[in-house]
Amino acid sequence: MIAVLSIRELLERADAAEDFLLLDVRNEDEFAAWRVEARAPIETLHVPYFDFLEDAEGSIARIPEGREVVVLCAKGGSSAMVAELLADAGRSARNVEGGMAAYGNHLEARRVPLAPGARHEIHQVLRRGKGCLSYLVRSGGEAVVVDPCRHVAFYEELARGLGARIVGALETHVHADHLSGGSRLAAGAGILGEIPIEIVPAPGHTPESRIYVVAGTHVLTGDTLFVSSVGRPDLGGEVVPWARELFRTLRERVARLPDDAVVLPAHWSTPAEIGPDGLVAARLGDLRRTVPELAIRDEAEFVRAMEASARPAPEAYARIVRVNRGLEEATEEQASEWELGRNECASAHGGRKS
Amino acid sequence: MKKLDVRGAKCPIPIVKAKKEVDAMTPGEVLEVHASDPGSVADFQGWAKMARNAILQSQRTEKDEAGREVFVHVIERRGP
Repeated sequence: MIAVLSIRELLERADAAEDFLLLDVRNEDEFAAWRVEARAPIETLHVPYFDFLEDAEGSIARIPEGREVVVLCAKGGSSAMVAELLADAGRSARNVEGGMAAYGNHLEARRVPLAPGARHEIHQVLRRGKGCLSYLVRSGGEAVVVDPCRHVAFYEELARGLGARIVGALETHVHADHLSGGSRLAAGAGILGEIPIEIVPAPGHTPESRIYVVAGTHVLTGDTLFVSSVGRPDLGGEVVPWARELFRTLRERVARLPDDAVVLPAHWSTPAEIGPDGLVAARLGDLRRTVPELAIRDEAEFVRAMEASARPAPEAYARIVRVNRGLEEATEEQASEWELGRNECASAHGGRKS
Repeated sequence: MKKLDVRGAKCPIPIVKAKKEVDAMTPGEVLEVHASDPGSVADFQGWAKMARNAILQSQRTEKDEAGREVFVHVIERRGP
């Protein structure tokens, strides 16, 4: 049997900048479209698995000796074959179980630090492969989940571990990049014990977008404001009117929130946005200085900037929206296929280095 | 024309089996591979670009008896 590595272990080792070589054996298109990313750069070698079929010896010779090799493919089958070839050739090789499919479905939860004496908890759930963020807010024995992914068992388990029961699911908007688990977690909006969750309408990224302010201190901004950009207003094909709405949301609604508010967004675009504590979060006051779109004070200029960054949406987004609106259903296989790749929800293309 | 049925098999089995067949064929012979994995479309394209003794003539989709989608890859053996 060949040695295996889970996606969780791979990401932990990559985040900690441990020394290993990632051998990606997918075909060119797949490799170009979507890669494993961590807080530290991952040293990666790309050799498609059919190279190993055509010329095993020559392909093995391309891999530097003396390195620990971690082999990755789309679903874990081809990489297992390559890891075995390498092991047979006396190399140290491990196979990443489940491949990129497992990466796309992998979730991690981290507790957001709150002021001492806070009577509630906020947990940020990171979907590493897609750059999606969701939240579980607990107060006493009750919890609500904001922007849940379709992996509802993960949130139920997280809540159980905290001694809480999920009483509601909230959405900041109808998502286009991933399928929501909201309708399967709980019907209707959640009211959470003694913790006020204020709803602020925030049209722009989409017309129904909203922001949730939890206990007056933490702002779940959805796709309205990220830690390095704003949500793109062109996904509905109406970039000018939606960009105007977004400008007003940012200038009138977000502008009223205090500098000390902690922004907890629904996405990140590059792993540079994940902080040293593993969380994607920022003080609003800091974002007012660092996010270029927030500094634009003229509506026409803002609209021009949004038009300039408009680009075609990934093909699957229209279908994902239909499912999230309840107009269609998707099988697990379709869901996995449609959700492949990192989200494309920020205005800044490919994110910004912060 | 030779046929290879790899329906139900997952990556990398369709390519591994097709390559084994192609290696045993004579130049000019044609192999039709029937696969159920949608990923096989890109895989056969990528493999054919690399393969020294095969080219991908065509690809198409069909429905099998049960109405399931089948991805058909037509491969020609080249010399030597």
